[in-house]
Amino acid sequence: MASEKELDAFLRGVEKRAFKRSLYHVRNQESALDIVQDSMMKLSQHYGHKPVEELPMLFQRILSNSTLDWFRRQKTQNALFTHLGDFDAVDDGGEFDLLETFLQTEEPGREQGPQSQLERAQTLLNIEEVLQDLPARQREAFLLRYWEDMDVAETASAMGCSQGSVKTHCSRAVAALAKALRARGIFS
Amino acid sequence: MTTQRAPMIASQSLIDQIGARIAGELDVAVQQLPHDVSERLRAARTRALANRRMADTVTVTAPVLLAQGSSAALGGGWGFWGKAASLVPLVALTVGLLGIGTLQEQVRLREIAEVDAELLTSDLPPTAYTDPGFAQFLKLGAKD
Repeated sequence: MASEKELDAFLRGVEKRAFKRSLYHVRNQESALDIVQDSMMKLSQHYGHKPVEELPMLFQRILSNSTLDWFRRQKTQNALFTHLGDFDAVDDGGEFDLLETFLQTEEPGREQGPQSQLERAQTLLNIEEVLQDLPARQREAFLLRYWEDMDVAETASAMGCSQGSVKTHCSRAVAALAKALRARGIFS
Repeated sequence: MTTQRAPMIASQSLIDQIGARIAGELDVAVQQLPHDVSERLRAARTRALANRRMADTVTVTAPVLLAQGSSAALGGGWGFWGKAASLVPLVALTVGLLGIGTLQEQVRLREIAEVDAELLTSDLPPTAYTDPGFAQFLKLGAKD
């Protein structure tokens, strides 16, 4: 069972990422804060007695469900989940040449200095914009898999879908992000 | 089969590398959160922890109070005697209502018997009370 100190440390470690993740989905600071607070309350009230190592997975699921509940309340669920094109067969033929060159390019803004910091801030802004334009399931899969550093099985469990779907969502999200960022002159 | 799987694994690895690299850029966003947002997140965390404390208190104290309540009132748990004892007030109420009903019936019968006895033992015949002239005589007598 997680002690109060352990729970506090866990929430302290995840709260900012959770806020940003919610913000990418709902695009509203107040709503994102409400979702994170609601998720924290649910975790501490219903799962506070669980072992500390189970908390990350539980929290990600609660956060995902709370975000989904928010969309349900906003009556936009249909708009989010009617991206039927997401389930079409992947045509990766042209994408991987692009991805390979993308990976070979130098990472921007690694140098210090006002100019590079500005460039990095601009890069971040671009990534956030493109990320917000992704379909919700792709964005969720991308954030859980690569930002929260969960493996495919964990991501599938958190999203309530198959591992194959996670892989599909992730590959499409990465391809879309890489393409959009290159088009904006990022990582070129 | 093996030759087909090899490019798939390679491409998956490539996707993962690029995904991790793009996601890595997002870490900057976490470090740049406005102060008020950080403070509100801290307040939310404190509230969640307080909520957990409250939930723990309710979970621990509720059975204790229940146990104390049952043992104080009934001298034990909710066994046969406990359930039987809980029926005592209902039985008492039923017996009381039946008793009151019987008593009222007896009083009513006694009153009727007294009236009947008075009529039968009186010097006047009972039919005199149905005579309008006699009724008028009684009324005038009462006034005097």
